[in-house]
Amino acid sequence: MGAGLIEYSPENLVPFGPVHPSLKEPEYFRLVLEGEKIVEVHPRIGYVHRGIERAAQDRTWVKNIYLFERICGICSFAHSLAYTEGTESLTEFQIPARARYLRLIIAELERIHSHLLWLGLVGYWTGFDTLFMWIWKDREHILDLLEGITGNRVHKSFSTLGGVRRDLTPGLISTLQEETKFVTKRAKYYEELVHSEETLISRTRGVGKLTKEIAEKLCPVGPLLRCSGIERDVRKEDPYAAYDAIPPEVKTSKAGDVESLLSIRLEEVIDSCRMVSEALQHLPEGPVRIPFPRIIPRGDAFFHVEAPRGELFYFIRSNGSAKPERVKIRTPTLANLLTAAELLKGRVLADVPVVLTGIDPCFGCMDRITIVNVDKSKKWSVSGEELRVYGIEYYKRKAGKN
Amino acid sequence: MIEEELSSIASGLSAKISKAKKSYILEVSPDKVKDACEKVSQLNGYYHLSTITGTDTGESISVMYHFWRGKVFITVKTDVPKSRPHIPTISSVLPSSLLYEAEVKDLLGVTFDGNPLMGTRLLLPDIYPEDAPPPLTKEADPEKIRKMMELE
Repeated sequence: MGAGLIEYSPENLVPFGPVHPSLKEPEYFRLVLEGEKIVEVHPRIGYVHRGIERAAQDRTWVKNIYLFERICGICSFAHSLAYTEGTESLTEFQIPARARYLRLIIAELERIHSHLLWLGLVGYWTGFDTLFMWIWKDREHILDLLEGITGNRVHKSFSTLGGVRRDLTPGLISTLQEETKFVTKRAKYYEELVHSEETLISRTRGVGKLTKEIAEKLCPVGPLLRCSGIERDVRKEDPYAAYDAIPPEVKTSKAGDVESLLSIRLEEVIDSCRMVSEALQHLPEGPVRIPFPRIIPRGDAFFHVEAPRGELFYFIRSNGSAKPERVKIRTPTLANLLTAAELLKGRVLADVPVVLTGIDPCFGCMDRITIVNVDKSKKWSVSGEELRVYGIEYYKRKAGKN
Repeated sequence: MIEEELSSIASGLSAKISKAKKSYILEVSPDKVKDACEKVSQLNGYYHLSTITGTDTGESISVMYHFWRGKVFITVKTDVPKSRPHIPTISSVLPSSLLYEAEVKDLLGVTFDGNPLMGTRLLLPDIYPEDAPPPLTKEADPEKIRKMMELE
């Protein structure tokens, strides 16, 4: 047994998680091993299934904005944006141009903070704690901006039916310009770092390789899809908010490994800073909100946005009343889950934290993993922390041997 | 262009085509879903299955498969009667549908024959009673189900 793995017999298995107070999206992966090698992966999700789709049917159109925002603590704005724009598409109302630009600014700031958070976590999982602390410190700048603009760090309650709830002040505009310059500078530095630092390269280069064929078969979304060389981004292909005026540069890579995910996300951070800065320069004058009816006309809306993790899909059905009849939500992590399971096959146990973090799940995923060894038919239950230490120790030992 | 290709698919499967704001809707009978989805996914660029939506329409469960490319979705739609909620899986031709089908089965009780995940639960907690109606159907009453689970 390697470092950190604790053996339990199945009858006295002590569950750590899957629901843990510090985590948002616990998932459960059952890994089947042959020695160190992973041969099969079975995901089981739903530990924090809160029945939000059902709850939405009992709430009014406006109340649902705040409900959907609480699906995710990291990309809360993407949810409220998809819901509000989807609902608005059922009516004939035109949203003020300034509101559409402000929506783009917040969506991009959210993407920056989400990508930085993920990058910090990659540092943490690979044992590069300094990187983790540096990046999370830089991320605070973005969170402060979000708090300044919207009033909240996490659940921003910014987008609403008919526009946005707050406007930018001249002071905030100049702070935003300065901070995006600062973040661009830092992201460029990190980009250099991830391709030169041995600790990161040894854990990420060639790990979890996604090919175009697998991507076309399993339909992952977001940076994971783009790292396989497929150029798809909802912001570019099907623009919403003000993305038709300020389109993104879609970043792709052919390598398909975790290292290419690092580059793609860092390039997206730099591109998002450019988009925020351009949006500020061309920010139209005028109101940020129009009065909006409480009853939405009958109809079906198919809507999706590019959340930081990829395509976030909303199906909204109105029966012409004050409450939606059905809202179906497909979050990006669900779309990426099958691909993550596929990428793990054939890898060693020590790669599990990095590959799973690679898809950028809401990091609850790792805290409950059962390992079944085919040869000995023994079961172990490991926590994410134990697996993290095991991964770091494994690669240290490997480096020592070579 | 896409309209022509869709109508040729539709005529082969005796399906109806309609147009919503952001999506073409191809309505087929449950036994032709697999053929319809396979043909739509072979259309230029429409290989991306965004998700599968299930909705309770009263008498039946309507199941929709959303395929995305560019600015328009193509939605393959079918109505599965509640009296016999069975439909063939499309996971043998489109493996990306595996988890989406399992989700619809958990929340609306439609069995996708041939999907290997039909025997287990994906989203619903283990304590959700076997004999209770699936949570997103109109028959599901949260108060009654809470009592069945002995939470009250």
